[in-house]
Amino acid sequence: MRFSVRLERVPAVVAMIVLTVTVLGPLYWITVSAFKDRQEILLSTPTWFPQTFTLTNFQQLFLSTDYVIYLRNSIIVAVATTVVTLIVSLAAAYSLYRLRVPGSGRIAGIVLVSYMIPGALLIVPLYKTLSGLELIDTFAGLVLVNVAFTAPFCTWLLRGFLLAVPTELDEAAAIDGAGPARTMLRVVMPLMVPGVATVGVYTFIFSWTEFVFASQFIVSDTLKTLPIGLSALVGQYTINWGLVMAGTVLTLAPTVILFILVGRFFVGGLIAGATK
Amino acid sequence: MKTLNGENHMRSRAIAAGVLALATVLALGACSAPSSDSRPNKQIVLWHMENTPSRVKVFQALADRYNATNPTHTVKIQVQDWGQIYTKIAAAAQSGKQPDILFAIPDFTTYVRGLGLGQPVTDVVNRVQATSGLVAASTAPYTDAGESWAVPLYGMVQMLWYRADLLRAAGVQPPKTWSELLAATKKLTSGNTSGIALPAGKNLATDQVLYSLMITGGAANFFTKDNKIAIDNSKTVAAFDLYAQLLAFSPKDSGNYSWPEPQAAFTSGAAAMAIEKGQYLAPFEAESGRPASDLGCAPIPVADNGGMPGSIYYSNGAMVLSKDKSTKDGAAKFLEWILDPKQYGDFLNAEPGLFLPITKNGGTESNWRQNPTISTYKTCVDAMLKQADTGTLFGFVDGQYVKSIGQISGQNFLAQAVQQMYVNGQTPTQAVTWIQKQMQDAISK
Repeated sequence: MRFSVRLERVPAVVAMIVLTVTVLGPLYWITVSAFKDRQEILLSTPTWFPQTFTLTNFQQLFLSTDYVIYLRNSIIVAVATTVVTLIVSLAAAYSLYRLRVPGSGRIAGIVLVSYMIPGALLIVPLYKTLSGLELIDTFAGLVLVNVAFTAPFCTWLLRGFLLAVPTELDEAAAIDGAGPARTMLRVVMPLMVPGVATVGVYTFIFSWTEFVFASQFIVSDTLKTLPIGLSALVGQYTINWGLVMAGTVLTLAPTVILFILVGRFFVGGLIAGATK
Repeated sequence: MKTLNGENHMRSRAIAAGVLALATVLALGACSAPSSDSRPNKQIVLWHMENTPSRVKVFQALADRYNATNPTHTVKIQVQDWGQIYTKIAAAAQSGKQPDILFAIPDFTTYVRGLGLGQPVTDVVNRVQATSGLVAASTAPYTDAGESWAVPLYGMVQMLWYRADLLRAAGVQPPKTWSELLAATKKLTSGNTSGIALPAGKNLATDQVLYSLMITGGAANFFTKDNKIAIDNSKTVAAFDLYAQLLAFSPKDSGNYSWPEPQAAFTSGAAAMAIEKGQYLAPFEAESGRPASDLGCAPIPVADNGGMPGSIYYSNGAMVLSKDKSTKDGAAKFLEWILDPKQYGDFLNAEPGLFLPITKNGGTESNWRQNPTISTYKTCVDAMLKQADTGTLFGFVDGQYVKSIGQISGQNFLAQAVQQMYVNGQTPTQAVTWIQKQMQDAISK
């Protein structure tokens, strides 16, 4: 009996192993390559572990590129986008799905449709709009565009969490004299922490990895974010693989740490948000 | 129901206040970030797409040096990306936010002019021609209707690179003709070593290598006098056939190759030959662990029948976009300053070996000649300069100026034709018929 149960688990275990190797294999390769010298990276017979363990790639990254500036800029843009998206999507979700203002169903549909428009198609009109607002080449402009693309999805994502909170709580809060804003902030929101964490992680990763808008709406070197800085390491005609690997490892690190800290909220949150 | 007690109340208020404060600080910080639009009147904004760290550093150092001479207009550099520049300059043009100087290559220049941007710089080019002399291949692709539309700054030319150690071991001489190239490729292929590494991805790298072979096969000009496509001919078929045969001896993943992969295969010894520009020189010793003498170079092999020496040649230049006369004059002064022998060598050293001088006295410029890469590989550098004399580029052959070339180069039709053979199994004749139609359709739209 026990043997047959174990046999039944074999396909699942094999699938998990294959999936893990597929997902983590490239990450492993990038990480070990970051610690190899230029010659070892290009060996025709690759080495599984660095034979020439070196930190030169990381030293060069900090000394010969503006990595620290890109990192600072990415943190500013990602945190600002996350905070603004949280505020906007929480308020929007509460008003659309909880307060049931007239026409909220249609508005909710329109909001979701706007999420489905490919961003690349909007580059020229967005450039003109931001230019008219004097927001080209500013963090504010980039954050504004990022929020425009994250807030609709996050608003929809929060719907599931809102529906899970009984409306009786709102009614009880109203009897205690709380208005809609206070009810949302002090009654409903504390019960939606997994949803807030999900939205926060999703938005942070979106803006941390966002490339298209950052490459179009930022022109000054001092305002460039990490994806743009990293792409510059893969230059036309030439490439320093060690530098690219070191940059990639350090760029991945914050999102990996974030996932380790709140990853279980994120996975659970996505499922909850999508199914309720 | 949870009670709204004082402690929770205070905590909620503190959290809300903290979030709002953080949002305010970040928003203020974001809004206070500098903007490219808030520039002084006497400043020239320059966009270049040479975004690798070493090039960025050298160009910025030169701009700083120029600004220290107290010019009428100072120069502010903003680094862009080749992959994004087509969309970005279009969007900037629509908003009137284009830079004053824009680095360019010939087909990109036709695109930018199509956006209504670009001023003639004929007077600047004439002055540089008079003082320093210009390589003909560098100015020709920017000349239209008697006017120059960009000031050439540096050139790039392709060569046949070979691993001298591998050729020596196999008893192979550097090939001079197509048949010798094919025979050498076959002989050098053994075990884990491919005879040659060629790109076959849908990208500009594949376009360029195939076009070099088309040039030496006499198929460089594929436009009629009235700018229609005339690529479907026996010479093109022969060049395509050679490329297809060579690909059989290139690494199996060549279908995804662009610029870096053939170089990595070549440097590591996984391939004995490659066709590319001078970027192979600088990193060779560090990445291969071999002495510099193991890096050999030769002109692109020519067709056995009716072949001619040649190679693809990219003249990289700078367009002046500003219409304001004072700014235009300031831009012209800066570009002439760059080409002055006192600093031109330093400019070329931004990517030694890849960036070749376009002025006739630039080839002897001491700062450039003394660069370790240039002096170590002097023979190959001189060979590239000689190859540049026969260099040309599609759409600009023999004084042509095909305004619709951007619609062809932008879609990588040559590379797509390679994929038709390499991936879809078409014969060279079928691929040439296919590309004739695709190109004609593209320029007819």
